[in-house]
Amino acid sequence: MTERFTEATGTALIGGTEERASRSLRALSLPVALIGALLALAPLWLGDSRVQMGVAVIGLTFACYAIGFNLIFGSTGQLFLCVGALAGLGGYGGAILADTVGLPIIVSIVVATLVASLVGGLLSWIAVRRSLGVIFTGIITLIFALAFENLLLGLGGVSGGESGFPISSGADSFLRRQIPPYYVMLGLVLVFLLAHGLLRRSHVGWAFRALRDDEVAAELAGVDVARYRVYAALIGAAMLGMAGATYAFTEGRISPTTFGFAQVDVVVLVMLAFGGIGTLFGPILGAITFTALDEVLIELGQLRVLVYGILVIVLFLWIPRGVIPTLQGLLRRRRAS
Amino acid sequence: MIASVLDGIVLGLQFGLLAAGLTLVYGLGGVLNLAYGQMAVISAMATLFAINAEVPILPAVGIGLAVGVVLGLIFDQTILRPIYRLQGEARVLLSLLLTLGVAFIVDGYLTWRYPTEGLTLRIGGGPIEILGVPMRRGSIVASAITLVALGTLFAFFRGTTLGRAVRSVIEDEEGARLVGIDPQRMLRIILALSGLLAALVAVTQSMVRPVTVSAGFGITVFALIVTVVGGLGSVTGAMLAGIILGIVSSIAASSIGTFLSLIILLGAAAVTILIRPSGLLGVRE
Amino acid sequence: MMLEVSGLAAGYQGADVIRDVDFRVESGEAVMIIGSNGAGKTTLFRSVLGLLAPSSGAVRFEGSDIVGMPAQRIARLGVSFVPAERHLFPRMTVQENLSLGAYPDRPDTETMTLVMDLFPRLAERRRQHAGTMSGGEQQMLAMGRALMAKPRLLVLDEPTTGLAPKLAAEAYQALRVLRGRGLTVLVAEQQVPLAMAFSDRGYVLENGMIELEGTSEALSMNPEVRRSYLGVT
Repeated sequence: MTERFTEATGTALIGGTEERASRSLRALSLPVALIGALLALAPLWLGDSRVQMGVAVIGLTFACYAIGFNLIFGSTGQLFLCVGALAGLGGYGGAILADTVGLPIIVSIVVATLVASLVGGLLSWIAVRRSLGVIFTGIITLIFALAFENLLLGLGGVSGGESGFPISSGADSFLRRQIPPYYVMLGLVLVFLLAHGLLRRSHVGWAFRALRDDEVAAELAGVDVARYRVYAALIGAAMLGMAGATYAFTEGRISPTTFGFAQVDVVVLVMLAFGGIGTLFGPILGAITFTALDEVLIELGQLRVLVYGILVIVLFLWIPRGVIPTLQGLLRRRRAS
Repeated sequence: MIASVLDGIVLGLQFGLLAAGLTLVYGLGGVLNLAYGQMAVISAMATLFAINAEVPILPAVGIGLAVGVVLGLIFDQTILRPIYRLQGEARVLLSLLLTLGVAFIVDGYLTWRYPTEGLTLRIGGGPIEILGVPMRRGSIVASAITLVALGTLFAFFRGTTLGRAVRSVIEDEEGARLVGIDPQRMLRIILALSGLLAALVAVTQSMVRPVTVSAGFGITVFALIVTVVGGLGSVTGAMLAGIILGIVSSIAASSIGTFLSLIILLGAAAVTILIRPSGLLGVRE
Repeated sequence: MMLEVSGLAAGYQGADVIRDVDFRVESGEAVMIIGSNGAGKTTLFRSVLGLLAPSSGAVRFEGSDIVGMPAQRIARLGVSFVPAERHLFPRMTVQENLSLGAYPDRPDTETMTLVMDLFPRLAERRRQHAGTMSGGEQQMLAMGRALMAKPRLLVLDEPTTGLAPKLAAEAYQALRVLRGRGLTVLVAEQQVPLAMAFSDRGYVLENGMIELEGTSEALSMNPEVRRSYLGVT
């Protein structure tokens, strides 16, 4: 069991599993289209309940977060514990730009995404310059996340403080209706999936794999580890910011707890660990599973946290690489025997 | 200004003692215990339940401290077993994740079962004047106890064979084994000690402000920040960092409000990590 | 027979570095193990003394089976090991390092005096932190710490690496004095002439196996040994 963790740690937690990167674009677009089609059907049976659609939208938002985090952590081993904060930069940034500054929604989202992306890239650059290992990168980003949360709480005049920021921009647009936000977020999920998939197949993806598996060897092979780490962070953080901003406009109201560490980072980490760190579809599997699980357990209230605690332990003791890689491993063994 | 500094020292001593527990476990065993805050909360609750059951204050506190020690030992025997089989970074990461899971289990249960409970130890009597500033009696008593505890810790580590044996494992584990010291046994002792320290901080904190059931994660975060700034593995570092960060935090809070002062604290921690990742007096990287 | 090793094999990650190693050390003897870099001397000592689990073989100390016993238990049986990397406690003083050598007992004044007499430089630096000392002083401290446990067998892995010739000679001089007091010594060395002058018997370890054994005198006259280790053509 612990041998698996050690092996997994060498690849999954600090890297990811080797998926045979097929060169065919069809091999990527087919499953993505399939997932898109399946998920597009969901409103058919959830569509009546506003609450359930709301949950579904949140689930897709978390899928976006998980894909972004997967890109940063799964591809280049940077433990960014500020997923919520980066999404929050997008969310609050977009809201402030639209409501307070008066920019159009699309522009606000784009600018907020850029801000989040740059901050993510900056954090990565700092970590690289100071040669911070996984643990210290985690601690620094955690500090950033906590500082951001406190900034939101402290600068009440700008951010609305503890009670939140009601967003008036787009209040009467399609974004606030019951079903369209679902398709908007689904669109983001599919775009992010394609982006990640294409990235993997490109030379950038090759560089990511190289530096993840053996940093020293990668440097010797000419891979500028620092640069690719920052690239991953820039793209991943952009995804987080975009998702956060878009979600904010569909929700209409955000507060510090929308993007808090306990509410976002922990959940995303568990989702990704469950699905499979470094895999393409792991984030989706994790997001769907845990959103559904959360709904099923809604009766338990605070006790849900206890269930998640148990799941975290079970997960990291017995399935450290995540469901998808573990299944792949089982299939491989069955094929071999 | 003096009032802020004194408040900062009171706070800082608590930070230091709290971080000492966390840093010792990391320095000795390479294990990061993210359920540390929950250990403190459980001990506080034990004391609370004892008091509610008509047990007089001192024995009730004793029960709380004993619970802390037991929690440390339970940790060693259960959740840390799979972690001990790993080394280095893998060990730290797994310990981080598993203890996080435990933290969730405890936090989830306690906040669901006892959402409004909190331990408060009221220390009777009026304020005591220090340097012309009236300080609450509870703060003074808490600080006095913390100072005694820290003093005892130092005496233990410098003056006793067992204490030196523990330090030697932090210095060089293989060297310690070569002179006949069992690192696992030392770690067990340190875990019990860290549980005791968590309990002690919870109890003394409750003399200043209520320690609620949901305080767990906040305690862990503070302990972690002070630990990292002071240097993982160094008790002196933790104390130093605690006092500095306590004073910084207190002065900032009185000028710009709690949230923003927390940012200053976090910023100070980040700056220290970036300039000197091993912390003020760190051992392990 | 103080130490008896038979059929010992050990290595890392499934690959054995040493194979089928047999040797013995009688009470009161001085035995050397010589061999070039990478021959497996360190692996051998680590597996005999509980720092590395052997893959097969038997190790007996004073008749009792100690194979697989962890190092900290072996240390209490009367064997002290001075490893090549010394593993001192850098931020603790010379005094503290030495006291810990006697763990779990309190340091014995008689033994402490002996150590200070053997290594006067340590006496001068009682309060100095071990990490700030020079290589030679650290070696002496490592030996001193090992002696504080009052061992019956002292095992040293390449004690003169990085030492100036004068200090190396001093180290062996100290070992001679200790032998005179009844200490049994087992030493692995790359600086063969020093070891040869000091030991009664020796083993040659190459490529993980014992290739030769014999008295120091016999080995010193062996043409292979002369060519490979004594630089005589």
